[in-house]
Amino acid sequence: MTMRVLRKGSLKTAAMFGAGMIALAASGGAGMAAVSCGANTGQAATGAPVKVGGIFGNAAPGDFSASTTAARAYFDCVNANGGLNGRPIQYLTENDQWNPELAAQAASKLLKDEKVVAMVGNGSFVEMAVNAPTYKAEGVMTMASACAVSECFESPNIVSTNQGPLPSTVGAAQYMVEEKGSKNVSCIGLAIPDVGPWSCGAMEGYMASKGLAGSSVLLNPASPDVNSALLEAVGSGADTILVNLPAGLAIAFLKAAEEQGMGDSYQWASSTPLYDRTVPEALGAYWDGKMYVNAEMTPWDKGGPDAVNWLAVMDAYAPKEAARDSFSQSGYLSAKIFVDAMLALDPATLDDRAAVTAAITAIKGVTSDLMCGPYYVGEADRHMPNHAGTMVVVKGGGFETVRDCYEYDSPYFAPIFEQEKALGLR
Amino acid sequence: MRETLRALGICILGVTVLGLWLGAGKPASVLGLFIVSGLAVGSLYALGGVGLVVLYRATGVLNLAAGATGMVAVFAAWQLQDRGVLAPLAWGAGLAVALVLALGYGRFIAARMAWREPVVKAVASLGFALMLLGLVSFLFSDDPRKFELPTDKAAVMILGLRVTVTRLLLIGATVGLVIGIGLLLERSRIGLQMRALANNRRISSLIGVPILRVETMAWGLSGLLSGFTGLMFGDLVRLEPAVITFLVIPCIAAAICGRLASLPLVLIGGMTMGVVESLLTLSQPLKDLRPMAPYVIAALVLLAMNRGRALTFAGEE
Amino acid sequence: MRMSGVIGVILLAVAVVLLPVLAGGQWVRIFTSTACFALAAMGAAFIYARLGMVSLAQVALMGVGGWVFLRLNHATALPFEANLLAAGLVTSVLGMLLALPALRMRGLYLALMTLMVAGALEIVFTARQFPNGGTGFWGVATSFSATVRRPLLGQSDPAYLRYSLLVMGAGFLLIEAHRRAAPGRAWALIRRSEAAAIASGVNVTLYKTWAFGLSGLLAGLGGGLLAGSLGLLDAATFRASESVLLFALVVVGGARFWFGAVATAVLYRVAPALLNNWGVDADLALILFGAALLHAVITAPDGIAGQILGFVGALRGRMPGVRP
Repeated sequence: MTMRVLRKGSLKTAAMFGAGMIALAASGGAGMAAVSCGANTGQAATGAPVKVGGIFGNAAPGDFSASTTAARAYFDCVNANGGLNGRPIQYLTENDQWNPELAAQAASKLLKDEKVVAMVGNGSFVEMAVNAPTYKAEGVMTMASACAVSECFESPNIVSTNQGPLPSTVGAAQYMVEEKGSKNVSCIGLAIPDVGPWSCGAMEGYMASKGLAGSSVLLNPASPDVNSALLEAVGSGADTILVNLPAGLAIAFLKAAEEQGMGDSYQWASSTPLYDRTVPEALGAYWDGKMYVNAEMTPWDKGGPDAVNWLAVMDAYAPKEAARDSFSQSGYLSAKIFVDAMLALDPATLDDRAAVTAAITAIKGVTSDLMCGPYYVGEADRHMPNHAGTMVVVKGGGFETVRDCYEYDSPYFAPIFEQEKALGLR
Repeated sequence: MRETLRALGICILGVTVLGLWLGAGKPASVLGLFIVSGLAVGSLYALGGVGLVVLYRATGVLNLAAGATGMVAVFAAWQLQDRGVLAPLAWGAGLAVALVLALGYGRFIAARMAWREPVVKAVASLGFALMLLGLVSFLFSDDPRKFELPTDKAAVMILGLRVTVTRLLLIGATVGLVIGIGLLLERSRIGLQMRALANNRRISSLIGVPILRVETMAWGLSGLLSGFTGLMFGDLVRLEPAVITFLVIPCIAAAICGRLASLPLVLIGGMTMGVVESLLTLSQPLKDLRPMAPYVIAALVLLAMNRGRALTFAGEE
Repeated sequence: MRMSGVIGVILLAVAVVLLPVLAGGQWVRIFTSTACFALAAMGAAFIYARLGMVSLAQVALMGVGGWVFLRLNHATALPFEANLLAAGLVTSVLGMLLALPALRMRGLYLALMTLMVAGALEIVFTARQFPNGGTGFWGVATSFSATVRRPLLGQSDPAYLRYSLLVMGAGFLLIEAHRRAAPGRAWALIRRSEAAAIASGVNVTLYKTWAFGLSGLLAGLGGGLLAGSLGLLDAATFRASESVLLFALVVVGGARFWFGAVATAVLYRVAPALLNNWGVDADLALILFGAALLHAVITAPDGIAGQILGFVGALRGRMPGVRP
């Protein structure tokens, strides 16, 4: 896996990330010593290891390993700084390769063979849907970091630090309605029930709740034809087109829109997949200042203690070329919240999965500058702590924040707001 | 010729009926938009199908790695362009890579399984496709990227839809290739030899057709076609390895429409597939299933082709 | 061949007893998947070996079986076995429908016909996904999926592996029984010449349709078993390219022998899992896999099974009877 990450930089990105690193090191000025991890003792942990698992997806057509890579970096840092009361974390990660069977096998290996006490940093498209029942049956809590499907947010034993497509889509629509005067939004999603219809449907719900019009256009990922979807969106009478697709497909869709010269005749927004360092360049100058993107974690350059520590930990403990993106932020944050909860736990019960699960479930009101709202878990059949975000616009080859942290509002979040009231967070 | 015209007639009739049915109550301009858009997609299927048929006719290999070969070509071209190499040189290099890959596979791998039956030869080429897919996925990060041609910027309006010069180029090239390769097969010596091979390999070799030379030519030609197809897919579909690799499956559907033999029929079939797929967007229950169109059309063609046959005999393909 | 059959039954008994006990949680799941795909591979292998007909839709048909199984599981309170059987039967009927055009096609065209079916099914599976306890005909809910009932004798993962192996064994025996009885003789005659078969009074339509139905039955059972093992299915498992790959591996495994189907499934599911376990990059594993596929097609006319037989034969000092 490390090898995979290393060779990521083998081509073009090597130069880019290299330059980025120098800039970051210079601007941070903190150097490598400034990391702050766990108990922060400076002493390496030497006791019997505590096993923690993680499942990521990395194969064609995509790589979600940034979250587990960041979690591993943080755990390594914790292990060098006293571990969990002197015991190092042994972080076991498995690649599901987007294959549901491999995902189930990985869960069996980690939960039944290795008997991990918790899962942290998971990032995948398929793993959560397949394993949600297993996590419940095994009584383990999964603190995921890079979720994309509904099951990840509507299961009792999974809680994710990232937002996933639904809040991000609603958030993007909300910004367009409140600040850009959109009256009719067309959401372009994937024709996969637990992805596109789920998230675009919630956006339609939001629009309806405001007395405005919303519609969904669904694209089958196997089809080479994005033009008809574009025409369908135009036919819906929308004034705003909200792209809710994986980055590669989104760029193909926007290229078709550019071909039609539609950049100025419609307003454009996107959910979080387009908040990626390489996107502005791939989109090209045409979209400069036109494309508004919702970011599920706070922007990379926003600063704050966790943001600085995240980059410092990555510099010190992650492979040089590992991505420093939203998933990486999310993986770092999941790992940090997990470690903080474990440090507060009675050391004698660290190997007891039930005790660890109870400790994770009890997490509430954790704040971080990497996330707009508070993180909490609680006992519930669904978890979606992260439903506030930032809006940015593609500008000058990068991104510019246009609206800082704001909470989303949609009928979908009603049960979640109830939970927060019950936990005293609202 | 009569057959081609008949097929064209059936397709136009079918598309018209479908268009009138699905487009009932919609303004004609909307229908026009979807038809032009569908033709643009259909020409992608047709171009892929033409490459498959050219090779199949001459060598008996249905190359499932054609998509992967084109995918390597466009990634090579993208990489060179990104490194600042002059664009035409980068495209040329992409084509060259595809040429070398196809020749290498044809000469060193496909030749060693000449004794296998056509299905096994076709299925085995998937192995080569997986190798190429694995290689490109290994070498390139999955950052989103875009492959562009200068012709993307210019466009003309057709029935209310802006059509870029790249798409016109694609349609022109596909039609040109169908005519050009048709003439090549019809008029030139190598074309004659290819046709001879397609008809009967054993007799061809007996009468002195240089099989190796003809096959190498065919692999080379198909490599260039795959490379060009790859550049077009990279530009017009999207630059993702797995997507371009497996687009070969709908392209096979287009090749089937030409009964793996007739290039004009591949063109007509591919275009029809594209237009039907596009028109289905207007149908509420079927719109998320519209990429099925190529497969359904190809299956209908296969059924129609074999209508009236009662028996099959060993050795017949 | 009789000898290899006896050995097969003994090996199956050993596997049923030992595998669930010896394998860890991960490997229990890997072997369960392998058993499911071995059933489907057997279906594809036998119509290829006996009738020369190629199905490039076998994995897609597994998807159909899995869909039916899950649909019934969530819609009714029927026991596992009833759902599994229904999954097999529905898929079998679909296989027979597929056979109707096949009656007039051979070789590549038939294969392409099945590939078109696989391509179309891939689109349907992606757009509709698999039932997970939701409402309506397609039964897809966006939240946590409802539970899938397992057989009485296969509640735990190891017990379910044992159960799957037994179903696989039963499927193999069903094929063997056919091969030895009237259908086997009819198929052999059809393969030589349909005209001759008709002349000798063989009902070609019936036996060809029957063969496709049998092949579909095995695929459906495999899909149902897989659904029972995972609790839910994902469209990614049943892509058209997976069907093509499975058939390629059938050729590599050796279509004419029962252990060829096992070899196919092992290559399809155990080999990638091993490479993944050894930490080989998924992309590099794909390169290795592709290269091995090409190598096997070039060098092994009867596949791995043929090579095993050759090896055993050489050990015994004489060539084995490997006639079709």
